[in-house]
Amino acid sequence: MNDIEGTRFTGHGPEWKDAKLSARDARAATAWVEAKVDRAALTGKDRVEDVRDRMRELERDGEIVVHRIRDEHAPVEAKTLYGWTKRIPTAQLWHHKSCGQCGNIPGYPTSLLWLMNQLGTVYLDETDQTSCTAWNYHGSGIGNLESLACVFLRNFHQAYVSARAQGLPDGYYFPLVHCGTSFGNYKEVRAYLLRSAELREKVKKVLAKLGRLVDGKLLIPEEVVHYSEWLHVMRSRIRAIQTIDVGKLRAVIHPACHVYKMVPEDAIYDDEVLDGNRVAVSTGLVQALGAQVIDYSTWYDCCGFGFRHIISEREFTRSFAMDRKVKVAVEEAHADVMIGHDTGCITTLDKNQWIGKAAGKHAEIPIVADCQFAALACGAHPYKIAQLHWHASPVEKLLAQMGIDWQRAKAEFESYLEAVRNGRGEHLYDPRRAITSGPGARKPVMA
Amino acid sequence: MHATASRKQQHIGDPLSPQPVLDRARLEAIFNDIQADARYDHELNGCLNCGICTATCPAAQYYDFSPREIVQLLWTENLEGIYDAMQEKIWACAQCYTCAARCPFRNSPGSLIMIMREVAIKHGLQSAKDVLRPFSRVMLKLISTGNQLSPDMITADHFADWGPNISKIDAPLKLLRQAIPMPTLNTMQTAWEVNLKTSIELYTIWEMTGVLKQLEIIDENLFDVITDIMDEKREDYEDWRESQDGNE
Repeated sequence: MNDIEGTRFTGHGPEWKDAKLSARDARAATAWVEAKVDRAALTGKDRVEDVRDRMRELERDGEIVVHRIRDEHAPVEAKTLYGWTKRIPTAQLWHHKSCGQCGNIPGYPTSLLWLMNQLGTVYLDETDQTSCTAWNYHGSGIGNLESLACVFLRNFHQAYVSARAQGLPDGYYFPLVHCGTSFGNYKEVRAYLLRSAELREKVKKVLAKLGRLVDGKLLIPEEVVHYSEWLHVMRSRIRAIQTIDVGKLRAVIHPACHVYKMVPEDAIYDDEVLDGNRVAVSTGLVQALGAQVIDYSTWYDCCGFGFRHIISEREFTRSFAMDRKVKVAVEEAHADVMIGHDTGCITTLDKNQWIGKAAGKHAEIPIVADCQFAALACGAHPYKIAQLHWHASPVEKLLAQMGIDWQRAKAEFESYLEAVRNGRGEHLYDPRRAITSGPGARKPVMA
Repeated sequence: MHATASRKQQHIGDPLSPQPVLDRARLEAIFNDIQADARYDHELNGCLNCGICTATCPAAQYYDFSPREIVQLLWTENLEGIYDAMQEKIWACAQCYTCAARCPFRNSPGSLIMIMREVAIKHGLQSAKDVLRPFSRVMLKLISTGNQLSPDMITADHFADWGPNISKIDAPLKLLRQAIPMPTLNTMQTAWEVNLKTSIELYTIWEMTGVLKQLEIIDENLFDVITDIMDEKREDYEDWRESQDGNE
């Protein structure tokens, strides 16, 4: 290194010299920084703390109450990044809905509930739930750790007590989180709550005012569980009710950043899925259903959603979505469908293909969530249940490849709208169950 | 005033510019607020300038933005640089956390940027107000209802670049929403039906955790609108509670 008097070495000063490497050598020299977020990249650091150990200590010390996953929740064990065991409840589930899914791509949650109906899974979908508020937070900075923690604890407390409306005991339902950002955010917040007595003290005052303490203590869930994890551990049972062969389909997976990059130690890895090197959810399900899962070079990239960008810097969002995901899936992987497991990703990848044509980017690919794909493979109606009319991408091509007569299905749905107009719409569950307290609630009915 | 400080240390900006210079005390106050966040020490553990964060940062591919630079500014406590980055660069981050997943030091540049955004709001930086103005619809919806997004926000007028197919079935939005087989989703103004009691609980969280204060700093008009809505909903809830008392 040239020692230039008075100049701190920065790597960008006059001391910098071009090594004049060939393109191949330059590639070799920088290969270590390749865009991988696989098991080796994530675990090649000091071992991290399992915050659940702290949770158990605080529970033993009587400082918190833990919402336990009990036998009645029929848990199935899965392994996370470091080989830790994560118990995934498969029964008696409380749906923590996603605002982006429900507002924009409603076939996402309806497909999930439809699958649960087919499998006889008991669940509750109710009105006493807020958004996690993390989309707004990550987009704007309005909010803070304390507010995020209070929202987390309030919603999960409601999950804990919700069965009272049905005359059932506390803890009967266990929360199942639909949104990847909610999932990542809640886990991040849970870790801070377990590490910081000061934060616990602050939020306890708020939760006390709301009447959301259990025996005067904060309630923490034993696990924070994403719906894709439920699908993962249920994939064999879903396969058992499959009615449509998807073996000819080439599928690419878009894994969601907030599912496996945020609190990565909690994401599920499975030795039988992608050699245990990448997050297993969605890929394991799609493979179980028999589709061909195709790898592609930008697998690790985000979708371009950006939280604020999808609203007010859409040039970034649509450019990234098209250049780094859609075009690669089409031109490199020759995929028939891209399957994801998060709200913003599905929206971004689905909605930004149309405008691509204005910039000469003509790549198109159907975009659906893993639960929508699974529901279709199990015979769900593409419009009544999977609600594919809300998707801007060419989902009709996917339906045709699956052997589904989408034009007939669309006509059926249009006829069905008349029934809805006349108050004869169909529901996945008894609507009276949705209101458990406050205005509109009814007295408990003994189960 | 710091007797040993150079002009650059005392102020930020071009010394020849007619623009008012920033007092060092303000820069220190901003940095102190960043450092005081409970997450700061957990998310910043060191930095060797390796750049692995920037190498896969989606925003770095499209903006004059580098998570490595942000971490370096914080690590070296470069107050002027931090203030400068808070004007625009911190808003480029897409919050994907790829940087955090890859950093050998277990830094989380994405989390550090969230702390900086919060502090930008706390100090009322004009740049923060400007950048968040188009986001006000989301804030209005979230803070007043507890939902961040609603069906009636997704219209061809607001999202012309999403193409003509907000729905590929030509029917009124209300009817299409009624045709969703989850009863909680038969809504127009919220993504799902939010219980009035739930919204009232959320208002208490906003008030007690300082979120309304943040909103007032960033957009006083929006703050007024939202607090009016909150007052109305609280009155509705009190009316309902009184009606329940009467029934018992």
